[in-house]
Amino acid sequence: MKNKLIIAGKEFSSRLFIGTGKYASNEIMAKAIEASGTEMVTVALRRVDIQNPQDNMLAAIDRKKYLLLPNTSGARNADEAVRLARLARAATEINWLKLEVTPDPYYLLPDPVETLKAAEILVKEGFIVLPYINADPVLAKKLQDIGAATVMPLASPIGSNQGLKTKSAIEIIISQATVPVVVDAGLGMPSHAAEAMEMGADAVLINTAIATANDPVKMAEAFKKAVQAGREAFQAGSSGIKKQANASSPLTGFLRD
Amino acid sequence: MAVLKINGEDKKFKNAVPATLKNLLELLKVDEATVVAEINGQVVPRGNFHNTILQDGHKIELIRFVGGG
Repeated sequence: MKNKLIIAGKEFSSRLFIGTGKYASNEIMAKAIEASGTEMVTVALRRVDIQNPQDNMLAAIDRKKYLLLPNTSGARNADEAVRLARLARAATEINWLKLEVTPDPYYLLPDPVETLKAAEILVKEGFIVLPYINADPVLAKKLQDIGAATVMPLASPIGSNQGLKTKSAIEIIISQATVPVVVDAGLGMPSHAAEAMEMGADAVLINTAIATANDPVKMAEAFKKAVQAGREAFQAGSSGIKKQANASSPLTGFLRD
Repeated sequence: MAVLKINGEDKKFKNAVPATLKNLLELLKVDEATVVAEINGQVVPRGNFHNTILQDGHKIELIRFVGGG
């Protein structure tokens, strides 16, 4: 079994991707990114604040070490997502894209119809599309069939820290995947990330759980270890769960008559 | 009086709008290396800011990366 993650021909040593939102400062963000061992970080596009034009978080990210994955957050439909994608490409001169279309601001659940529509357009335009989706195996299959580079099903609503609420659906997605499966959104603790990796996810994407921890740098290290442990456990292969006890010590040679 | 709509808000200029996009960014003190721009919905390729001529009434979007998940 190969140990390197490959997305669209690019090899990743780390199976942990990091979101850059919600950090208290660019300095803490940079330290957490470093501690996580990640090789890819997500960023969002927003209007320049004309009153405060100096703010530039990108300066805190070493682009030689970390691939930027611009997202289309804020897009409510396919048209808005495609527009943001083109802007992101103009800004970075790279064509990697986390496609997200979330019309509803309360649960921020992704719109499957608009996401598929945008993905078809962007794949044709040469983008490497990593779509954020609900844990819908049918949609995941359609996206991989039209040329998405990964599928990124959510574990639970973005930023909720609820963990792997969609586990059984993600198991189906993994079982039929022809592209890497990245579990994105809702993983709140390292144990959640380990659980996703143990069941065979190819990678996880973490933002809130690290950025809003009391000590984001320590939490980033903890996620790094959990992702590695989960991956190794998946490779090692569990013998499965049994209903009945199965003694670990021999059931012979007891000291009794 | 001349007007540019920048990021959704009208910005008025006494005589004429700045000649180029690069001039506008200098006026706003925005580092051009950190932004991507759209004029009337069309992305301006990076490196073309200095020869992109602005006209009264242009709708300009100045966008940059921020933290996000």
